[in-house]
Amino acid sequence: MSEREENTTHFGFKTVEEEKKVELVAEVFHSVAAKYDVMNDVLSMGIHRIWKRFTIDCSGIRHGQKVLDLAGGTGDLTAKFSRIVGQEGHVVLADINDSMLKVGRSKLRDLGIEGNVEYVQANAEELPFPDNHFDLVTIAFGLRNVTDKDKALASIYRVLKPGGRLLVLEFSKPIYKPVSKFYDFYSFNILPKLGKLIANDSESYQYLAESIRMHPNQESLKEMMENVGFEGTEFFNLSAGIVALHRGYKY
Amino acid sequence: MPLDNLVCGLLETGVNKLHQLDSSAKQKRKALDGTIIGVSLKEINKPLYFVISNQQIDLLSQFEGQPDCFIRVNFLALIELQDNHQLTNLIKSGQLEVDGDIKTVQKFAQLLTEMDIDWEEHLSKKVGDLLAHKIVYHAKQCKKTFTKQSDKAHKQLTEIITEELKVAPGPLEVAYFCDQVSDIEKQVAALEKQLARY
Repeated sequence: MSEREENTTHFGFKTVEEEKKVELVAEVFHSVAAKYDVMNDVLSMGIHRIWKRFTIDCSGIRHGQKVLDLAGGTGDLTAKFSRIVGQEGHVVLADINDSMLKVGRSKLRDLGIEGNVEYVQANAEELPFPDNHFDLVTIAFGLRNVTDKDKALASIYRVLKPGGRLLVLEFSKPIYKPVSKFYDFYSFNILPKLGKLIANDSESYQYLAESIRMHPNQESLKEMMENVGFEGTEFFNLSAGIVALHRGYKY
Repeated sequence: MPLDNLVCGLLETGVNKLHQLDSSAKQKRKALDGTIIGVSLKEINKPLYFVISNQQIDLLSQFEGQPDCFIRVNFLALIELQDNHQLTNLIKSGQLEVDGDIKTVQKFAQLLTEMDIDWEEHLSKKVGDLLAHKIVYHAKQCKKTFTKQSDKAHKQLTEIITEELKVAPGPLEVAYFCDQVSDIEKQVAALEKQLARY
């Protein structure tokens, strides 16, 4: 990382041009979109549902509020938020990848969720929304893939209402050594094989494992949030720190 | 925390699976569309929030807003909630505390307890009409035999206790004993009167 040049960034363990990362990440998600939900269930053994539930519990969302589900992918969180905010509320499902957005939209329509949900293809670094607009912004398993994370966090800060909050659910660093050992073995040896078996795509899942390692740990992400202006930031380690939920407020 | 989420998740899946089997559940949910009901068991003091919408019921273990209705209930009273006429009794006896509209509570109780599921119909889709009918018929038959047998066992047990082991008196003996007691009572009263004369 130390010899990284100004205009390059990391794509997994590889170093690539900044402009190329967007394309490369897009490729990954185009290729996994169709099997995304199945893979999530298989790879996390269903635990991702509990992580998402915990996120919703921490959201403090209420009737009639506005929510932005960034990198919302196939809309797991959006579906819940849409039911909680009710018809007077508003939920925006945003994703930079149109394949994921399409899968999400058709899934939510099939569930009968309509009326208060909008679908927007947007880049987290340059959100196409007015200032002080949302009561809640969530980004679940998405920040990792953003090229310029600070810019994205600043952009999120801008669209949040004063009093609003940001929730970042993302893979993190396990807090116990043995867990970490097992987790490394699982993600570099088993995960790509499962990816090959189910979605016929081992590279995307190799990237998943690598990008998790390159993502800032709990404390540094918290610091990054504080740097762009978030206050009262805190994080909760879930499943021994394999995943962490960061929460920050804009006052 | 995650344990709460796990329990919530399992409950939610269970309730919604049952609702999918019940054809009338959708109508009932429609009547409560958009309401949020908090339920807390007095014994464990852990609130659960039911978010009811057209599509399904969502369970949250934390909710920072104001629910439309909040219920605090004893664990034992939960079973009696089935009977809508019992609601006022439960409130009077303090087993149920309601904060909000009582009508919402009634509808909510109906939503969760009155599930009208045609198991035979759902089973027939999986295994075919004939087998489904047979299975349900036998299940019913089993239930009938079971209640019959348990009634019989009950009867036999009382007979053993009263007739064979004689550890407790039979109903006729009790009646006879009561008669004897009242006879003695009468005699004592008469005796008292005679004594009073002297």
